[in-house]
Amino acid sequence: MAGYINSGTANLVMIGRGVKTPENKKHRKNFVLAGFFPLYLIFLAFLFSGCQRKATEHPRLVYWSSNNSAEIKFASTITAEWNLTHPNLPVQTQPVPEGQSSEEIILAAVVGKTTPDIYSNMWQGDVEAYSRANVLIPLDTLPGFLDFIYRRCDSAVVKEVTSSDGHIYQVPWKINPIMQIYNKKYMRALGLDQAPSTFSEYMKAGREFQQDTDGDGYVDRWIGYSSVQVTWWQRFFDFYTLYLAASGGGSLIKNNKVAFNNIYAVETFAFLQKLYKKGYFAKERLDARQDAFLGGAIATRFTGPWEISHAEQFKPAGFEYGFSPVPVPDDHQGPVYTYGDPKNIVIFNTSPNPEAAWKFIKFMISKENDRRFLEMSNQLPRRKNLFEDPFFKSYFEANPRMIPFAKQAKFVKGTDISPVLKEVFDIISQEYEACVIYGVKTPEKAIEDAAKAVELLL
Amino acid sequence: MRIAKKQLTPYFMVSPYLIFFLTFVAFPVLFSVVLMFHKWNIISPMEFVGLKNLIHLVKDRMFFRSLLNTLIFLAIHIPLQILIALFFAELLNQQIRFRGFFRAAYFLPVVVSGVVVTMLWQQLYGFDSGLLNRLLIKVGIHKVGWLTDPRISMPAIALMATWKNVGLYIILFLVGLQSVPLQQYEAARLEGATHWQQFRYITLPSINPTIFMVVILSTIGGFSLFIEPYIMTGGGPLNSTLSTVLYIYKQGFFYYRMGYAATLGIVFAAIIMIVISLQRNFIERDIST
Repeated sequence: MAGYINSGTANLVMIGRGVKTPENKKHRKNFVLAGFFPLYLIFLAFLFSGCQRKATEHPRLVYWSSNNSAEIKFASTITAEWNLTHPNLPVQTQPVPEGQSSEEIILAAVVGKTTPDIYSNMWQGDVEAYSRANVLIPLDTLPGFLDFIYRRCDSAVVKEVTSSDGHIYQVPWKINPIMQIYNKKYMRALGLDQAPSTFSEYMKAGREFQQDTDGDGYVDRWIGYSSVQVTWWQRFFDFYTLYLAASGGGSLIKNNKVAFNNIYAVETFAFLQKLYKKGYFAKERLDARQDAFLGGAIATRFTGPWEISHAEQFKPAGFEYGFSPVPVPDDHQGPVYTYGDPKNIVIFNTSPNPEAAWKFIKFMISKENDRRFLEMSNQLPRRKNLFEDPFFKSYFEANPRMIPFAKQAKFVKGTDISPVLKEVFDIISQEYEACVIYGVKTPEKAIEDAAKAVELLL
Repeated sequence: MRIAKKQLTPYFMVSPYLIFFLTFVAFPVLFSVVLMFHKWNIISPMEFVGLKNLIHLVKDRMFFRSLLNTLIFLAIHIPLQILIALFFAELLNQQIRFRGFFRAAYFLPVVVSGVVVTMLWQQLYGFDSGLLNRLLIKVGIHKVGWLTDPRISMPAIALMATWKNVGLYIILFLVGLQSVPLQQYEAARLEGATHWQQFRYITLPSINPTIFMVVILSTIGGFSLFIEPYIMTGGGPLNSTLSTVLYIYKQGFFYYRMGYAATLGIVFAAIIMIVISLQRNFIERDIST
């Protein structure tokens, strides 16, 4: 046995050394046949695992929803209803498979060509890159799409979701506007009816509210908190929201050019920088411990409507809170815009029947189903006059905490059209850290440097 | 037929590893070399860009910053690791009570998941609520921004990584120490050598090969610094903990600049090889003299 193994090993060594003997030639052949045979089988298995959907008389459309429980329930409900009334166009729903993020899963699916027909949790900022890679269906080429979309949304929203090639690849579906949650008791103590509405009011409240409650010589109560992490999407909840508010819904990128090197971005950086410099905002990561807002360590926070269910579940007895628009520069005029955190619906080009997918989407975002979605998930459908529409009145009467968000819904913005938006946010985030958190750059210099870096990127 | 079957058997036996090697080592390496000369964001077709990725790397200040951060980490981590490991190995080599317990206890962090250790230390390092700062306040010392002060954050990570890995090196040193013949110490004692002289002139030269191995392993492990900054700081504050591997990861799996990430990876691998071969030459020469 040992000799046999040794003989085999010796042969391998001979082959490895490239010794050319007739026997080696034979061995090479055997090596290829035997060594690669299992590999070949695996390769074949891969090929067949990626095979087409089972051919049936009525092929099913596949719809991936987000993986939060309310949306899974909504997707299951409407799909079941659709399948009852459309037996010839069956739809199968499933939540987007688990992964580090849904964006990563979608990317993996795009690469593996295993995308569903319909996906309903697409971040608006990702669409341009996917459309340029030709993996999405231009929806405006589908019959009736434009009529439908203009009936549902304002022209500004339609413009916002139109890609640089003039096509529309996404259906605006839902938003979660970022507002300011505030502790009512603390605000009353500061002599305010609601959260501070201007930069100077906010600063004054920060000064008065700041306290060392345990007497250890360090401040442990702050007016607000925002993540100090440089992760790009954290800027949705501080810089980007405040920039949109200050600029009346301005852009970061416009026509593939930098659009944020302006006074609004500088003012926003300066405001936030002062908050950290004066110690009105904590530099520590407060998210790694008990909820800082419900625990009373902070008086306000920039957040979305998802905060309601969390607060209702975990608030201490007697805790009162409300929502108001984010603060703006003192000389600001006009409505206060904010980031809407929109998630949209797309049809992938792997779909064998985009027209059928579009029919299902129309059903999914019909007025009745939008109200159902609102009731089930407490997320706002992105449709015009949502709050004024009597059809949704009963919901807002039953859920008054959602009213500020519904009123804010008129003045929200998503993201600009750019295939490198994450990188733009990352560059801004780097400068944000240097200027706002550590104060090693002036706001003017930080914005100028960010603009230069983004120009290079574009 | 019988001979052919016999000849095939070894190939069948090596095929599981061969498949693994080809799929997860050889193919990615070769593919990285191809990617070096391409621009590719995964979803769009590859575009040949020649040497553009390499030219970009030469001008990329952030790459050199990440390299410097990694070297700072190594400069703290390796000596600290060797000193602490040697110290505890020397202690554990003595006839002390509960020796078995201590050996197991020091090794425990090595087998705990890196993510778990990192999250634990993140709590310890907390500015307001962290245990370390609470202890400092108790003894009248100012709080330290372990993970928020750019000057402190990398040493703090190096300290944590040392705590996590030192158990392994204690074991290695212990093996080295136990292989030193006791007669040498007896002879030295008879000649009147002090403890320090025994350590300096007998122990250290005898365990030089172990030191060499520890330096090499620590260097390779240190160059692959990733989990700690990824979880604790995200590379901040002010990029002070941005390790090279984290930077490559960001380029590849955050920006999807696969060509550039492959270029960074290959250049970084070459740098590691150069450093290791320099270390090898230096330490081997030291051992032989």
